[in-house]
Amino acid sequence: MNPTVQTLLITLVILFTLLNFAGVLIWVERRVLALLQDRLGPNRAGPFGLFIIVADIIKIFTKEDWVPPFADRKLFILAPAIILFTVLLSFTVVPFAPGIVVLDLNVGLLFFLGLSSMGIYSTVLAGWASNSKYALIGGLRMSAQMFSYEVFMGLSLMGVVILAGSLNLTQIVEVQRGMWFIIPQFLGFLIFMIAGLAETHRMPFDLPEAESELVAGFHSEYSSMKFGMFFVGEYIGLTLISAMIVTLFFGGWLGPAWLPAPICFFLKTFAFILFFILLRAALPRPRYDQLLSWGWKYLLPLALINLIVTGAIVLMTGNPQPN
Amino acid sequence: MELNNYIPVLVQIGLALTLAVIIISASHLLGQRARTNKVKDSAYECGLPSDGKSGARFSIKFYLTAMLFILFDIEVVFLIPWVLVFRDFLQMGIPILMPVLFFIGLLTAGLVYEIKKGALDWDK
Amino acid sequence: MLKSGDQTSLSESPVLESLRGAFGEAILKIQSTCDGIPTVWIRPGQIKAVLKYLKHEAPQRFAMLYDLSAIDERTRQNRNDQPESDFTVFYQLLQVESVQHLRLKVPLEQSNLLLPSITDLWPAADWYEREVWDMFGIRFDGHPNLRRILMPPTWKGHPLRKDHPARATEMGPFSMPTDRHIEEEEALQFKPEEWGMERESDESEFMFLNIGPQHPGTHGVIRFVLQLDGEEIVDVVPDIGYHHRGAEKMGERQSWHTFIPYTDRIDYLSGVLNNLPYVMAVEKLAGIQVPQRAQVIRVMLCELFRISNHLVWYGTYAQDVGQLSPVFYMFTDREKLLGIIEAICGARMHPNWLRIGGVAADLPKGWDSLVREFVDYMPAKLREYDAMVMDNYLLKARTRDIGAYTTEEAIEWGITGPGLRATGMGWDLRKEKPYSGYEQFEFEVPIAHKGDCYDRAVVRVAEMRESLKIIRQCLDYMPTGPIKADHPLTTPQPKERTMQDIETLITHFLGVSWGPVIPEGEAMGCIEGSKGLNSYYVISEKSTIPYRVRIRTPSFTAMQFIPPISRGHMIPDLLAIIGATDFVLADVDR
Repeated sequence: MNPTVQTLLITLVILFTLLNFAGVLIWVERRVLALLQDRLGPNRAGPFGLFIIVADIIKIFTKEDWVPPFADRKLFILAPAIILFTVLLSFTVVPFAPGIVVLDLNVGLLFFLGLSSMGIYSTVLAGWASNSKYALIGGLRMSAQMFSYEVFMGLSLMGVVILAGSLNLTQIVEVQRGMWFIIPQFLGFLIFMIAGLAETHRMPFDLPEAESELVAGFHSEYSSMKFGMFFVGEYIGLTLISAMIVTLFFGGWLGPAWLPAPICFFLKTFAFILFFILLRAALPRPRYDQLLSWGWKYLLPLALINLIVTGAIVLMTGNPQPN
Repeated sequence: MELNNYIPVLVQIGLALTLAVIIISASHLLGQRARTNKVKDSAYECGLPSDGKSGARFSIKFYLTAMLFILFDIEVVFLIPWVLVFRDFLQMGIPILMPVLFFIGLLTAGLVYEIKKGALDWDK
Repeated sequence: MLKSGDQTSLSESPVLESLRGAFGEAILKIQSTCDGIPTVWIRPGQIKAVLKYLKHEAPQRFAMLYDLSAIDERTRQNRNDQPESDFTVFYQLLQVESVQHLRLKVPLEQSNLLLPSITDLWPAADWYEREVWDMFGIRFDGHPNLRRILMPPTWKGHPLRKDHPARATEMGPFSMPTDRHIEEEEALQFKPEEWGMERESDESEFMFLNIGPQHPGTHGVIRFVLQLDGEEIVDVVPDIGYHHRGAEKMGERQSWHTFIPYTDRIDYLSGVLNNLPYVMAVEKLAGIQVPQRAQVIRVMLCELFRISNHLVWYGTYAQDVGQLSPVFYMFTDREKLLGIIEAICGARMHPNWLRIGGVAADLPKGWDSLVREFVDYMPAKLREYDAMVMDNYLLKARTRDIGAYTTEEAIEWGITGPGLRATGMGWDLRKEKPYSGYEQFEFEVPIAHKGDCYDRAVVRVAEMRESLKIIRQCLDYMPTGPIKADHPLTTPQPKERTMQDIETLITHFLGVSWGPVIPEGEAMGCIEGSKGLNSYYVISEKSTIPYRVRIRTPSFTAMQFIPPISRGHMIPDLLAIIGATDFVLADVDR
């Protein structure tokens, strides 16, 4: 097959799967939360309430597409597009299985970090463009939160890069054939996971939304599918963070020989998604100054220590060149 | 030849953009229309008329964090080439940990100074 | 049980003695009441001096301003020899340690409805004086912001005056055309200047943000206007009254008996804890002694409702700091509990169960197994919730050292109940001055020491365990006997012999259609509610309806205390404070 056509096909399949998966995730999260909270959750439409996804899509598309007259129109429309755009683009470099990757970029990790920084503009611009007080506070919280957790996210991955000797995600997975990085890089994993949660502003780090404080935070003024795009963006973002954790620390597609690689990757990712849903059900929300100061006072020094210690260990154990 | 490698990214960008445009225009076309009125056209503030504009000057503490961020993000940028060439230098037998220890030590000193100064104590 | 106080013994009480010594000429009269609370009429000119003396100088100092309201006396019959007065303002003080109340009354003429404000003596007088202005049109000289508090700012008239309509049908049809709508909306716009607030400081501009009335974190319709510097709260102005339903006004046109269901709806989470102070007040007026079994049934239901209230508080408290799940578990347990309430009372949230002289009916068959099942089931659940909520690191970080106050501040602001006990003072009316037979039960009064949001939570959680203890004792030692006093004024009237003799039939007919005629007098019933002291002060002019019903609720004072404990904290802290306060908006607005 023509390699260009093949790439195009893979891209389309990945995109299609992701969008559908985001839809299914909305149902999964509602059902799992309900399970954890002794409730039923959506169970009326179709088997196991699965058709609620279709119903939701129909509903949200037919809602009035309202741009508040007091808002900054261009930015207001641009903001939800950014979140969807950046998370979808981030998946370009995620290796689902050997060969199943849109682009095996040699700076894949940098590409991911760069795009996740771009995602911040979505929420900040949404908060700013809405020209509403709750949205503004939510947007500002988001900017402070993301500014801070960007740093730790980048730093926490440096240990992985030292061990792998590469920024290429496929190579990072391959290096883990001997041992998953979760063992030598446990600290890095913890920091990356917390930073990732903060970046996707999921509960318990949903301070920019903070329902009981800011009503809906940065998307207070959004309705219809523009609101829906934040929603879908959040779920794809959640998938992205889970996929990255799996790729960087849990050996990506590596698994028992009888299990096909993509399925193995999917199962691991899904386990993390479920874990994040569990966190949402279990934890209260910290105050934003606590979130920031914990980040700067504990996570940042820990990430630096992790980096130095990893370097020192590699130095002392001689030179186990991975590839 | 080199550039050809990046075609998939362009494809992905194109697809993601198209998707965003399709979704926004679809919801614009499919969405209902309703008449506007004064209450509907005011910003949400728990159902009451809002006082003052929202674009007012805001506490400087937010910008302090932003400035700290820039400092430390640059640190990460400097570290990336170091971690990449780490192994090459090892092979050459050059002590590589020392300079970066010095670099990180300097930044840690900066961080300690910030904490001592209370730049991170938002609730002070 | 309190006896009707007679004048001679009252005048010998040491408070009156010292008051007479210091302000002999200011005292117009010492009135006798059915609840034994010393009631002294003071000349309007000297009320402030007397209050100042009682707070700061008297040998027995009254630290708490317990209640402040007024009575429209213009249509009152049977005033006996009380001093001439068109409107009477009454101040009720409480000496916390000795649980001694003191009521001061000030007569006012309609032509001169003006009193000096005592907001500089007790900051808590602020809202009470505003309420008196709102409801009666009595002005307070020197009050910092005398504006309407419960009624909308556009309201005409003062509702608790006797000449103000009591029903919508007396007021003409209601309509809200667009221009009126806009006018009303604009009247609700917060103007910082009216509250003496600056729009900017030297360093930054303040943002004024409405939290409520349509907000997921406020537990109902109330507005907090925040003055924000960044996210830091410079000041808070609670705007209450959205839930005002005129319960006190309704009391003036319901029979003694038919007002009971209205009390259910004051603190709608605490059911019979509202019925009890009201029926206790009426029983004092009528001189009814409640039989033992009825008392123990009352105690058991009160404690069940205390747990029910605390469970709702527990869940919403966790939710206010962002923990999503506990509220579901706690509501599930509350459902179990409400099932027992339903089995006993037939209703869940609004039991309408206590009656003048007893309770509505005897306990149903099998009640004991239901209750026993619950008291066996609940302790394990409470341990589970401790691990889930109270031991959670994030929750502790969010609520420790937030909204802290001292015992002195609490008393100064009229805070009672768990809010007071969290400051280290083990003061519980059930122990200090037992009513309804609480002296026969063994239980502890849980306290905590720092008085912050977390400690208030600790006290409430411990209280649930104590309530379970009390319920278990009720279960084990439930006395036998009648469930209603044998007294002609109890309601509903006994029906057993109505079909045998005409006299009983007539009494029953009159009692049911008009209601009993309660002897004239004044009495207050006061209990330890789920949120603090809850009391009903009722005045009878020997009629089938009360002349005045004053409802003093703990939520009102707690709400007034939110601004001073929130200043300097941040928006999320305000929500933690709201969550830890445990108020019900119907209890604030009545």
